[in-house]
Parts: sequence; structure tokens; C-alpha cells
Amino acid sequence: MLSAQERAQIAQVWDLIAGHEAQFGAELLLRLFTVYPSTKGYFPHLSACQDAAQLLSHGQRMLAAVGAAVQHMDNLRAALSPLADLHALVLRVDPANFPLLIQCFQVVLASHLQDEYTVEMQAAWDKFLTGVAVVLTEKYR
Amino acid sequence: MVHFTAEEKAAITSLWGKMNVEEAGGEALGRLLVVYPWTQRFFDNFGNLSSPSAILGNPKVKAHGKKVLTSFGDAIKNMDNLKTTFAKLSELHCDKLHVDPENFRLLGNVMVIILATHFGKEFTPEVQAAWQKLVSAVAIALGHKYH
Repeated sequence: MLSAQERAQIAQVWDLIAGHEAQFGAELLLRLFTVYPSTKGYFPHLSACQDAAQLLSHGQRMLAAVGAAVQHMDNLRAALSPLADLHALVLRVDPANFPLLIQCFQVVLASHLQDEYTVEMQAAWDKFLTGVAVVLTEKYR
Repeated sequence: MVHFTAEEKAAITSLWGKMNVEEAGGEALGRLLVVYPWTQRFFDNFGNLSSPSAILGNPKVKAHGKKVLTSFGDAIKNMDNLKTTFAKLSELHCDKLHVDPENFRLLGNVMVIILATHFGKEFTPEVQAAWQKLVSAVAIALGHKYH
């Protein structure tokens, strides 16, 4: 459950990302593949050549989904249900990988916001993204 | 044994040289205690941990954070020999402190995030990769003597 302050922190940070989903998303994926090479197996079309256009396109899609989650913080299950189906039936990303993505997400935020990335923002986003990951893996079995 | 390339060592030592270890240590430990509040279980005698600002301003947190990060400096001087370097500390964390090694991974990740806030664009994916490799190897070294 997210408190009112946590929701405010999440929304505040999202305002800085909104409109730049492709750029942030591409950087997220690049960090994921560089720091945790084993994750590349889940993105065969992307990770082989790491074509900038494809990274931007897929990054945009992923961050748009995060944006949808931000809009529906009160009801992640309903909002993310189609994505939860996708992850359970098609993608089947091992749940252990979500913390790796979350770490890279935090580093993206931290490196862009720098001093403005307060501990309250870090805590709220860690809790929020962990909640998103739980919903995305909930239908696995 | 973990092997660090020349590039990885350079990425690590160049950033370390620019860090205020004392401040960064307090920040790392403070953020750990805020973001993962269950880690406070090891610090019941540290006084006021009632809010993020209380935690980050707490003198015992700052002092202990400085101690932890100074010890991390030993890791950087001995990157090719981490298990030996941290053997005694590993025994201490197991036998006396009873710290779940998962906490070493959490603290390492928080340290990486703090580095990102300090260095911004300079904290490229490659630099992040070198540092994640180091914090992960330190966490393993600290857990190595657990029994």
C-alpha cells in the first residue's frame, strides 16, 4: 500500500520522465544489458545488435507501461492485467530478473536527477516498482 | 576468484578518488535504513531512526557509515584478493553480528545508486557495470566465511 506522500513522490518524479519515455527507456535497457548480460536472452531481437532505433522503440513501450502504472497506482492489477498475461504466458521472464531491472531504473533516475533524487523518492520508487513486478509475475502459476 | 579488467579497475578507482568517503558512507547506510526499513533491526541502539531526516542526520549512522565505506576502500586496494581481505570481517558478521548476507547485496546496490547521484552522466552503463561487479564481489567475500 502506498501512502499519500509516496504517491506524491512517484508522481513528481514521473513528471520529469513524461515526454521522454523513449530516451529513458533506451538507457534503461542499455544499462540492463551492460550490467546484467544474462538478461539479454529475453530480448533476442534487441540485444544482438542493440540498434539505437529499436532500443528507443522498445524503451518507449516499457516506460509507457510504467506511466500507465503511475496513472493507476490504486489499481495496478486491473491496469496491468494484459501485461501480466503476456509475462505469464508468452515472455515468462524469471521473477529474479525484475530486481535487476529495478536497480537499473533507480540508476537511470539517480544519474539524471542527481542531488534532486532524494531518499524519499528512492524509497517510493523502489516500493512502487517492486509492486509492479509482483503484479506482472502474479499469474505465473 | 573474480577478475577485474584494467578498464573496470580504472572506472572504479577514478570515481573512488573523487568521493568524499565519510559523507558517502553515512548517506549509503542512511538510505539503506530508509529504503529497506527492516535493516534497522541491526541498529536498535543507534537512537532516533524515526524518519528519513532523523536517520540521515543521525550521528551514529554517519559514523558507522563512514566505517563501512572506509573498509570498502580496502576492497578497492585488493580487488584481486577480496576473499582473503574480508575473511576476518566475514567471520565477524557471521559469528558476532549475525547479519544476513542479503544485506550486503542491498547496501551494495544503494551505494551504486548514490554514485549515480554524485556522478550523473559520468556514471555510464560501463562504469555502473564495473561497480556492480565490485559490490557483488565484496558481498560474496563478506559471506564467504559463513557457516
